[in-house]
Amino acid sequence: MSAETSTVARILKPTILILIAVVAIASRLFSIIRFESVIHEFDPWFNYRTTQHLVKNGFYEFWNWFDEKSWYPLGRVVGGTVYPGIMVTSAIIHNVLHFFNFPVDIRNVCVFLAPMFSGLTAFSAYLLTKELKDSSAGLLAAAFLGVAPGYISRSVAGSYDNEGIAIFLLVFTFYLWIKAVKTGSAFFGLLTALFYFYMVSAWGGYVFITNLVPLHAFTLLLMGRYSNRLYVSYSTFYAVGTLLSMQIPFVGFQPTRTSEHMAALGVFGLLQLYAFAELVRGYVTPKQFKTLLKGGVSAVAIFAVVGLTVLSFSGVIAPFTGRFYSLYDTGYAKIHIPIIASVSEHQPTAWTSFFFDLQMLIFLFPAGVYLCFKELKDEHVFIILYSVFASYFAGVMVRLMLTLTPVVCVSAAIAYSTLLDTYLEKSEHVLASNLAGGARPTVAAATTTATVTDAPAEPKSKKAAARAAAAKAVESETKAKASTKESKETKEAKDSKKRFPIFNWDSRAMVIMQLTWFLFMFAWHCTYVTSGSYSSPSIVLASRQADGSQMIIDDFREAYYWLRKNTGEDAKVMSWWDYGYQMAGMANVTTLVDNNTWNNTHIATVGLAMSANEDVSYQVLRQHDVDYVLILFGGVIGYSGDDINKFLWMIRIAEGVYPNMVKESNFFTPRGEYKVDHEASQTMRDSLMYKMSYYRFAELYGGNAVDHVRGARMPAEGPTLNVLEEAYTTQNWLVRIYKVKDLDNIGRDLKDATAFDKGKVKKVSSLKRFVKA
Amino acid sequence: MSSSSRWFRTLGLALLAIFYVASSFSTTTVNAQSTALLGRKLAKFQEKATKGKGVIELDSSSFEEVLSMPRNYSIVVLFTAISPEFQCVPCKNFDPEYKLVASGWSKMKDKSQLLFGSLDFKVGQAVFQKFGMTNAPSALYFPASSAESAPAGTPPPHQRYDFGKSGFQAESFAGWLSARSGVPLAVKRPFDFVGFALKLLGVLGFGAIGHFMYNRAGKILRNKYIWAAMSLFTIFVMISGHMWNQIRNPPYTMPGRDGRPGFIAQGFQNQFGMETQIIAMIYAVLCCSVISLISSVPRIEDPSKQRFAVWVWIAIFGIMFSMLMQFFRLKNPGYPFRLLF
Repeated sequence: MSAETSTVARILKPTILILIAVVAIASRLFSIIRFESVIHEFDPWFNYRTTQHLVKNGFYEFWNWFDEKSWYPLGRVVGGTVYPGIMVTSAIIHNVLHFFNFPVDIRNVCVFLAPMFSGLTAFSAYLLTKELKDSSAGLLAAAFLGVAPGYISRSVAGSYDNEGIAIFLLVFTFYLWIKAVKTGSAFFGLLTALFYFYMVSAWGGYVFITNLVPLHAFTLLLMGRYSNRLYVSYSTFYAVGTLLSMQIPFVGFQPTRTSEHMAALGVFGLLQLYAFAELVRGYVTPKQFKTLLKGGVSAVAIFAVVGLTVLSFSGVIAPFTGRFYSLYDTGYAKIHIPIIASVSEHQPTAWTSFFFDLQMLIFLFPAGVYLCFKELKDEHVFIILYSVFASYFAGVMVRLMLTLTPVVCVSAAIAYSTLLDTYLEKSEHVLASNLAGGARPTVAAATTTATVTDAPAEPKSKKAAARAAAAKAVESETKAKASTKESKETKEAKDSKKRFPIFNWDSRAMVIMQLTWFLFMFAWHCTYVTSGSYSSPSIVLASRQADGSQMIIDDFREAYYWLRKNTGEDAKVMSWWDYGYQMAGMANVTTLVDNNTWNNTHIATVGLAMSANEDVSYQVLRQHDVDYVLILFGGVIGYSGDDINKFLWMIRIAEGVYPNMVKESNFFTPRGEYKVDHEASQTMRDSLMYKMSYYRFAELYGGNAVDHVRGARMPAEGPTLNVLEEAYTTQNWLVRIYKVKDLDNIGRDLKDATAFDKGKVKKVSSLKRFVKA
Repeated sequence: MSSSSRWFRTLGLALLAIFYVASSFSTTTVNAQSTALLGRKLAKFQEKATKGKGVIELDSSSFEEVLSMPRNYSIVVLFTAISPEFQCVPCKNFDPEYKLVASGWSKMKDKSQLLFGSLDFKVGQAVFQKFGMTNAPSALYFPASSAESAPAGTPPPHQRYDFGKSGFQAESFAGWLSARSGVPLAVKRPFDFVGFALKLLGVLGFGAIGHFMYNRAGKILRNKYIWAAMSLFTIFVMISGHMWNQIRNPPYTMPGRDGRPGFIAQGFQNQFGMETQIIAMIYAVLCCSVISLISSVPRIEDPSKQRFAVWVWIAIFGIMFSMLMQFFRLKNPGYPFRLLF
């Protein structure tokens, strides 16, 4: 490792890191170059709106903000129901820039926040991997994480969402934790807690840290690796971190109450007991200690079981929350909470997604985990635990691919860099180190002996220890193992030390060339995926016309702008919850439901209004003061994410709350098919959503309309609308806005009124016929 | 157009009037007689139900009989195919659950409102055809014909239980049924003494073995390579999309069509059981070649042997990666990259 210290390396490393950061940022700018600096998708619009509020009105105003323009008529307490990390971060950046007289617009700060933080994420991956292997592996890990599509998917420019900064915080917190365990310093424990606090303020995924760090501590305890380093670092982290995390109003007292946080508390208690037992051991004879331990352990166990039962039955400790359940029991969400199942981010992950997001890293990753097992120091245990659990979670939910990606990059970098080490090393160096018997950093076998014998050996205590109580047993067993197996271990170590250099230059060249080629492939793959799949702002669509020219479909903004300019300040617009944030952000209107899906009943009410017939819907619309209804219809241009395709979810969610008014089976044809053409069921045709979607659609094609999404030939005569009137339809028919009619001013039923308005001519004609007859 | 609708309305009114007259005429005279008849029919089937522990085994003819109008009870019928030649695994899984609900109902005091029937495909093919059943099990609920819902002997519409949505559990089925029929249905699972005893014995036995073989078991537990194997196995299973299979339950394979291999599912977000296993194998081989290149190759002392090993592993590495990409291109035809082939 002479390269580690040389001057060239000292200059090269920062240069490489800066270049990696540049590449990481640059590869996230596709959408800016293609479209413009615009906030993407759905949730970012809410974050952007709150950030604007924060910058304009200051922190206290933001903290106490009651947003009466969403969830009409309920409203939403924004300050108490958001993770404020991302908004505060961009507000600070904005204010610092303005302090130095850089008049940067807050929108641009928001748009570029995630790419900027991805550079920092790459740097923290470098630090983390450096702790595990060496700085060359660190550089590889930084490069991997900088361009891995699994992370880019949530951090392109404009994707102003919590994950954008949370992944940096996740990786950096883990780095600090490993550093703390390694050094045993309270300083690093404190830093871990501080960044944990930042993480808690930024993303709900902080629970991953809350469980992984205690799990690591607990596993080390089970492996008999208790040390004062562990005690100091964990106690500092837990005490400070928990107190800090409770300062976020949205988290509040959860850390002491909900089951997600109990593991951390339990391990904290266990560590205290363990440390206390260690202390007592020093003052009494071994026999007394044994009795004390037995008594103590059983007393604590009984106390814990009774206490937990009483607390959870009396309701002090909340049961696992719904979203959490859906992680463990995958059938739970499907049956109980359709709203969770309806979110595409909560779907399980097919193998293609893994390959698409990680390409070659996905199979280098297990190899890296294996290498961690060979070395198995405290920090490697952490990476192993992280790998296993993150891969499980990523399998259950597509969204959690994001938490898997960092560990995949780190672990793959370890494997890749070990390969490079093996095949690039000068033969003399290898031979010399073999002769000297020194363990190379890449060859792990010898080091295990070293770590195990860290604890003082206790010869002949094996049998006694075997019968000792649980906690103690594990530890002294390991020690006993260390002593009795020492001879065997050294033999094993000798075997594995017998490593030879790679003798032939052609083998070396072959491996290195292939590896380099794979790196090229990886870079191409990442660019291809980023540019093709993850850089679409989704509020502006691009498509290719037959002659190859690009067509920009800007219907969403067209519609939202129309709403902004043509409706009153307090107009209430109903739409499916997906578009709530965008409407609030872009159209500045009052919405009924939005992407913060906190009130299932309210969403189901909107679902009811969409899926019921006109009479029922009209009542619901009137009760909620709705002025306009906005829907998405993709039938003209073939946009498959429209409301008719989401309609089944609306029906299901509505059925969950109003089982007597909505029945999913009625929307299917007798053969159980979901049809919109002439075979569609009567309930389907009567539903407001169907009517709004296909209102005057047939006229557009002169009676020969074909729905391009569902490939259905529509009946020549389209549906009639009595309680709504068309207010606006965008250029490509993607967004349709309807105005809710007022009550008829001479007290007629709206149906009759419409029929009267339309029927004038008919009445005359029938009269004529009557006369003829 | 409006004249034709008017004509229909007149016709409808006339028909209604006729029905009304007819029914009012018949009810007065036949009322007593029909009540007795109904009672006899119900008693007959209730006897059958008690024989079958709450479930009436139906065939085509008795199905028609039990459903014949008028009837003052509602009935739920399970269309199933329990015989082994049909190999209907869900039928077999749901059968005990259905019986559990039925026997729970049969223990009630007043059980005249609801009957439980079961119709096997073997003896009820005609009925299966009549209802256009293409798959079993299906459960249909036929409500009672009350005077207001079916004035003229037309059977009220039946309702189908959605297994896909609500699942195969007795509890959810009972919930669905009591919501439809308006009678309380409680599922009391009998305490499984044998199972409990077996479990207890198993735990005790395992504990005893663990206690006596403490040293050996400990050795296994402390062996890091066993843990490594377990962790790697978990990771391979997870990254090859096994959880997706667990949740979505895709078929293992499908017959291939127009040149496509049958074990690969069409579509990017879709997969078959066998497909994921193949992917897991490919990942495992790739990972194994990396580990071998790192750990085993440098232990070979003989240069020519070592060279041979390197070439073999690197060839496997390259070929497997190319295969993986080929696989991926099958799923995502627009994917532009390839390695060797």
